[in-house]
This record gives sequence, C-alpha cells and structure tokens, in this order.
Amino acid sequence: MIADFCVKMGANASQLEKEIGTDQFPINEHYFGLVNFGNTCYCNSVLQALYFCRPFRERVLHYKQQQKNQKKESLLTCLGDLFYSIATQKKKVGTIAPKKFIQRLRKENEVFDNYMQQDAHEFLNYLLNTIADLLQADKQGTKPKNGPVDPNHQCNGKPEPTWVHDIFQGTLTNETRCLNCETVSSKDEDFLDLSVDVEQNTSITHCLREFSNTETLCSEHKYYCEVCCSKQEAQKRMRVKKLPQILALHLKRFKYMEQLNRYTKLSYRVVFPLELRLFNTSDDAYNPDRMYDLIAVVVHCGSGPNRGHYISIVKSHGFWLLFDDDIVDKIDASAIEDFYGLTSDLQKNSESGYILFYQSRE
Amino acid sequence: MAAQSEGGGRDEVKTQFVTREGTYKLMPLSEYSRPNRVAYNGQVNTPVKTSFINLNDQSGIGDKICFNHGRELYVYTYKGIRKSICNYDYQGTQDMAADLTKPIDKRVYKGTFPTCHDFNMFTASGEGVLLLVGFTMGQVQLIDPIRKDGAKLYNEERLVDKSKVTCIKWIPGSPNQFLVAHQSGQMYVYKDELPCGTTTPHYQVFKPGDGFSVHTCKTKSTRNPLYRWIVGEGAINAFAFSPCAKYLAVVGQDGYLRVFNYDSMELVGTMKSYFGGLLCVCWSPDGKYIVTGGEDDLVTVWSFIDHRVVCRGRGHKSWVNDVAFDPHTSSTEHDSFDFSGSDEDFMQHVAKSNHSILRETLRDSLRSSASKGSNRNSTDSRSIQNNLISYRFGSVGQDTYLCLWDLTEDILRQPIGRNRSGTHMSQNASSNAINPHANKANSVGSAYLTTNSLPNTPLMDGNIHPSATTNLTQKFATLTLGDRKDKETHHDKKEHKRNFSLAGRSVDKVGLLKANHVRPVDESVKLLGTPACPRLDEVPLLEPLVCKKVAHERLTSVGFREECLVTACQEGCVYTWARPGKVAMPQHTSALPRASAGGTVV
Repeated sequence: MIADFCVKMGANASQLEKEIGTDQFPINEHYFGLVNFGNTCYCNSVLQALYFCRPFRERVLHYKQQQKNQKKESLLTCLGDLFYSIATQKKKVGTIAPKKFIQRLRKENEVFDNYMQQDAHEFLNYLLNTIADLLQADKQGTKPKNGPVDPNHQCNGKPEPTWVHDIFQGTLTNETRCLNCETVSSKDEDFLDLSVDVEQNTSITHCLREFSNTETLCSEHKYYCEVCCSKQEAQKRMRVKKLPQILALHLKRFKYMEQLNRYTKLSYRVVFPLELRLFNTSDDAYNPDRMYDLIAVVVHCGSGPNRGHYISIVKSHGFWLLFDDDIVDKIDASAIEDFYGLTSDLQKNSESGYILFYQSRE
Repeated sequence: MAAQSEGGGRDEVKTQFVTREGTYKLMPLSEYSRPNRVAYNGQVNTPVKTSFINLNDQSGIGDKICFNHGRELYVYTYKGIRKSICNYDYQGTQDMAADLTKPIDKRVYKGTFPTCHDFNMFTASGEGVLLLVGFTMGQVQLIDPIRKDGAKLYNEERLVDKSKVTCIKWIPGSPNQFLVAHQSGQMYVYKDELPCGTTTPHYQVFKPGDGFSVHTCKTKSTRNPLYRWIVGEGAINAFAFSPCAKYLAVVGQDGYLRVFNYDSMELVGTMKSYFGGLLCVCWSPDGKYIVTGGEDDLVTVWSFIDHRVVCRGRGHKSWVNDVAFDPHTSSTEHDSFDFSGSDEDFMQHVAKSNHSILRETLRDSLRSSASKGSNRNSTDSRSIQNNLISYRFGSVGQDTYLCLWDLTEDILRQPIGRNRSGTHMSQNASSNAINPHANKANSVGSAYLTTNSLPNTPLMDGNIHPSATTNLTQKFATLTLGDRKDKETHHDKKEHKRNFSLAGRSVDKVGLLKANHVRPVDESVKLLGTPACPRLDEVPLLEPLVCKKVAHERLTSVGFREECLVTACQEGCVYTWARPGKVAMPQHTSALPRASAGGTVV
C-alpha cells in the first residue's frame, strides 16, 4: 500500500513537471506535497495555502534566516525550517515530510496531540496567533539589547503589531445605535480572519453582506447604553474599517445540530470569484475599494468536521495547483467551480471551499 | 434527516409575482423539460440555454424552442401561453405529457455536450431551419431539426480551438456566417459552406487593437475560420450584436465589456465590472444601452452613447447568469406603449424572435442617435415614436432568483458622479442604515434606498393595467436617494432632450484613452472612479422592482416574448410566465378561458 503510494507519487511528480513544461516552470518555485502523518491533512492544506501567500512565506523565510541557530525550537522555527526546506529543494517537484513541525504542534497543543481529524480553521487561527505571540515575545526579549526591531511600529497602548498583523489583520467597526436615545457608539475590533455564515445558492459577496447586516438587539440580548445608563434595545452592525492585505474568509460550514447532538456539514453552493471587492465597508474605511485576488482555498471534502479530508488549491505564477497531502496536480482555473459546493440540500458530502485567501492587488 | 429542512425551506418558490402592470403567472402546463425528469448525473454542468424561432408553417403555431440539458438537446413546438389556453378544455396534463415525449428533434451526445445554440432566422421557413450548436469540447454542429438532414460539423478535429464554446450566433446581415466564442478567449467567424481544413490554421494579424486583435487564416484557398478575434484575458463568456447589427458587445472572465464596430473591427467602448467576470450581456431594444450581469452579483447598465456606466442594480444573492431587456414593457416619450400603432413590419419582427425585436424599425433611430456629431441631439420626427425613455429588463442568477428592473428617465439623465461624493452618501448611510424603523431584512445597501416594494402596493387607481402604462410616481419607488433631486424636473420635456450631456462624454473619452495605455494588470484598478468603472457611490444603485425565488436550481436563462417571459434553470426546466392579462386564471372552473384569452392569439 505504502509502496504503491510512493510509486504514484513519483509518477505524479514527474507528470506535474511535464504538464507545466520545463521552460514554463517558474524559476525558484517548488511544488512539494506534504506527507500525511495520520489525519494531518487539516495541517497540510493550511500550510500549503500559507506557503503560497507570498508575503507570509517571505516573512517566515526571512525569520528563519535571521535566526540561524540562535533560537530554541518553537512552532515558528519549525515552520521556518519546513518552508526553507521546500524553498531550497534541488528538485522542482516532490514530497516532503513535515515531521518536525507536526511533532512540535502536538507537543505544544494537546488539542492537536492525537490522530483525529482537526478543524483547519482552528489550526489556522492557532498557528497565526502562536506566531504573533512568539514574534511579540521576541521583540520584548530583544529590545533591551538591540533597540526596537521594527522602527515602524511604536507602542500605542496595545501590543506591538507584528508582521502577522501587517499581513492578515483588518479592523471591524462595530456600530451600535441605541433605539431609545439614538446615540451611535462605535467600537473597533481587529481580526485575522472573518467567519461568515453560509446560505444555499449564494456568493461569498452575499455572505459578507449578511455578515454586516444590521441586527436588532432585544429581549435578553439588550444593549447597555452608557447615555441612558440602562439596558436598551439597539441596532448593531459590523463593517470593515481597515481592509487587510490578505483577507482570510472562513465559511461556517459546520453547524451544531441540537436534534442530532453533533455537528453537521452545510455543503451549500457558495460561489467565490477570482476577483473580489468588499461591499460591507464602513463609511470611514481607509481603502474601501481595495481589489482582491483569490490566491488559495482550503477545501473540505466529506460530510462532517471530524470526518473527511482537507485539500488546498493555490494560485502560483498564473496557474492553479491542487495539493492533496503528498499529491500535487495542476488544475484549470475553470475547475475551481467544482469546489463551490452542492445545490442539493440533501447531500452533505461535498468538496467545498472552507477557507478562502484573497490578496490585495495594491 | 430533520436537519435537512434547514436553509432550504425559508424561501418558497414562487409561481406568480406582481408588477405595476399586473400579475405574472407561471404556466404550470407549459413547462418544458426533459421527458423523464430523473436525477441527473452531475457530471455535466453546462448551463441550460434556450433559443426561439418562428417558422411560418401551416400549423399556426410557428414558434419553436430549443434547449440543452446535460448531454441532450431538444427542439419542441413552443406554444407559450396558448398551450394552456387550449388545454383547459381538455385534460391538460395528459396532453402535455404526450407533447414532451414527442419533441421535433432530440439529440443525445457522447463525450462532448451542447452548451449553446442559435436558430438562423434569415433562412427559416416551414420546411426547414438551420440550428447551430456549440459544444463543451469546442466543436460546432449545424443541424436542421425539421428536415433532419445535411448536418455539418465544424472544428471536428478540434484544430481551430479545443476549449468549450461559450456563445454562438448567426451574424445578422450575413445569413451564411456565424460567430463562435470559446473559453480560450477567442472568437471565430465561420462561413457555413467552407471547410475547416485538415491542418491547424495559421493566422496573420489583420487588425491589432487595444486589449484585442483580429487575425485572418493564412491559406491559399479560403477556409474556416475566416477570422479569429482574441479578446481580453481569459474566457469570453457571452456576446451580443446590437439591434442595428453594426456593433458587437463582448463580455469575458476578465470583467470587461468591450463594444466593437463589427465591420471596421474597432473598439468603440469599454466597461469594467466592479469585480469578477462578466457572464451575460444584452442590448436595449433601441441600442442605446447595454446591460451586463456578473460575478459581482450586480447588473450594470452602460450607455452606448455616453460611454459610461449609468447605474448598477443590486438584488441578486449570487452571480447573475443572464440578463434581457423586455422590449414590450418599455415606454416611449409619448408613452405610446401600445405597439398596435406601429407599422406591420414592426409587428412581424416582434413575432419572429424576441431577440431581434425592433431590428429594422429602430435601426434608423439608433443611427440618428448613435452617430457622433451635431445631429445627435436632433431627434427627428421619425425616430421620436420609438424614443424610449423607460426600459424594463430582467435578470436571473445562481441564487435561483428572478429580478425585474426599471430603468427610468431619472436614472438615465444623471450625469456621472454628480453630488455623489463619499461623504454625501455616508452621511445618509449612517443616518438611514441604523434606523429604528429599518426592516431587519434590509441589507446595508438597501438602507440607502427608499424601499417601497411595488408588489405589495395596490395600484393607485385600483385597475390592473394590462401593459406598462408608465406611472412615474410609482417608478420612483425603486430609485436611489441621489435621484430625488431630479424629481422636480422629470415632467419637463425640454429637459429630457438634454439627456446626454456633451461634457460627460468628453470626460469619459479622456478616461478611456488613459486606461488603454496602461498595463492590463493595473488597468482594472486604475479604471475605478472612471466612467468605465465608477465607484459604488458614484452612480445610482437600483433596487429590483421584483426579486423572487422562482426555481429550486440555479437559473441560467431569461427571455421576454410578447405574451410571456421565459426562464430556464440548471435542472433543465423551461418555465413560461404569462404576462398580466394574457391568460385566464389557471383554474378549470374559469368561466370563459377562450374569450378572455382570445385577444392574445396572433
């Protein structure tokens, strides 16, 4: 079985090189599948998507170069080693075992310390936050010796932003209008990704607009109004104030069904365009017209969160690749529609987009 | 299983809807679909499209419909609303079932599937009709579904183009030539009697252009294709010839609408979607406007004369698959909607095909209005009769919704960017959007608007208007807030003549010129804020007059006919919606079905 797999891998790798064409193959680019260590596809799919987020990859490789051998092992050094290993391969295509990274991940967080299928979005969240924490800790640690690492970011009350924030962080503005005194109060919240509800036969554009729709806070959800000094009915809406460089959109396809006492998958067909602008920006948004390009999609295949499989499709140098653990295939852009989901409400088992990565064009 | 009602059941599929002219009703017995509606193996995902033709045969019902579904292609006699009128006297369902199992022609394909088709209306007769069919693997077939002989295949060896055919049309004015657009981003002109050759064609540049080029086939003997057009980047999704047949509008995956002078092969206008690919395109009956729909969930109206986006429409929850103008529900300056006053020639064209409406009659008026120069504003007495001031169009989307839109004089007259600064809008937005009286269901966007929904508003005089008598007051219900300024002047006929300001036009040209000289990657970003792609708050944002879920599956096609509107969905069902007053109540107890419907039979 494993032998079969290796043969297939070999054939697949050379096939991919042939398909792209030796003269067409992008210089300094490597397409390496990642070996599955027992239900680690949630991890592999996210790592591939992040590797092809160019700003993220560059910062990770830069970090790796800066560190050399000074640092003690962390999830970030393991990620740096993995990315470096891919980026410095002699061959253009092949497979790599992200063994050290997985070991480190299992060691650091008990949630991932098993052979169960995990949620790719939870993992993405965990990874980005862990890296941000490590970078912040690094800054704190190095400051007394070397002065500010990044002079662009001075302290402004909250923890200094790191390059993870520079890449992924956007700001939501949460406007609440008290229905009694009509006072509008707004509060900003930062986000690294947006989780949006999905509906059947809609677009990601529609899901984002729904996300920002006005909702009324009433009965037990009443809002404490500072002007009225009491709980009041209010209207609330959340819109994007600062648009991130990379917009990560999480489609909430796993829904807890009380009748069933478990999560079920919403395989709804939610289309996502290759080009995107946001409709749900706030009036004071800095760059509301930002144009985004789709660069990667983490796809969930199967019928539930703890069953099934994750793969990712990424855009690299103008063409699309499908990473399925150790297998890499070139796909046509028109094949992306296979990952929108299903129009039949009866079927739960689907290969459908789960996390979308859009990169700003400017 | 209990969970499965989640999400699906909230919106009921509608079987009728109301506009100001009355109630449109689904004709349940006029449904065309594959005879055995079995769950289709989802391998083939080609959109279901419809083509119509009127053959002057002896039967009295000369209308034929062609539609594709998966690997199959059907041609039926299309009885439209007459179908049910006749049947109420008998057992309607039985007759219908018999009808569906007896198509005029049915073809099942292997390995390659039909994607689009077009009847040749220039050569059609009771004895035969030429039907072009494009396929997923790039081939083109020419068949006669009546005679069923002499089928021809083009691009059989796939030497011309291997990619999917996305749009196919006979070229108006050239009865033997047709244009085939492919997913590869190329279009080819074929002549029906020419061979395709046994070798891959070699091309030479015939006409280079900005964002496009036209090539001819480099051979000793004339062969197909006659011309190759390369347009934009990525797939060409659809194209449409102007009613005057002179211009060609092409939309593609790169999000551009490009309008060419077809004969001179010159690019005469460009528009960019707000984002994403453009999927469909349609000309207004008078050729003055083009409406597109696309992956930004919007419909966008572009003025051919002013070369600018006039307005956008937001109503769909997903991508817009098809758009079509309704030539029968557009109002002229004199509001002489009743077309019976027009000449007979005109009526014949109406009957022939809903896509070729007004072709001849409006050619003159278009020329006078479209020709650049001083006579542009001089609307002569001949064309004034057809000087449309209000337009109706429909759109269908992947959200399974049908939307109807009214494009009124007030919208059309707005100069670009006028008083639509961001702050102006945002002030209104913040005061309106979080409004204690706002309906929770209102989107943020619709909060900008005065959202009177017409269907629930009883007509002012209590009468059902069988056709579109223009009621300006009601029309305002769908306009955006910026249009209020013009309310006071809309009755002023003199004002109307200044419809298209010269100033707006010259500004636009500068914008286009600039855009054409920059790299394509940056181009679409730089176009933002120009007349080719205004910012969201720079042009009016329309709300649909009607926005109804009318199918379980994605809608793929919409078209307007004299007595009905026709929609098709991915499942392969073609629905006929009778216009108000065009059909008796669909009940067997209906007193005099024939009498009430008698007037509609042509």
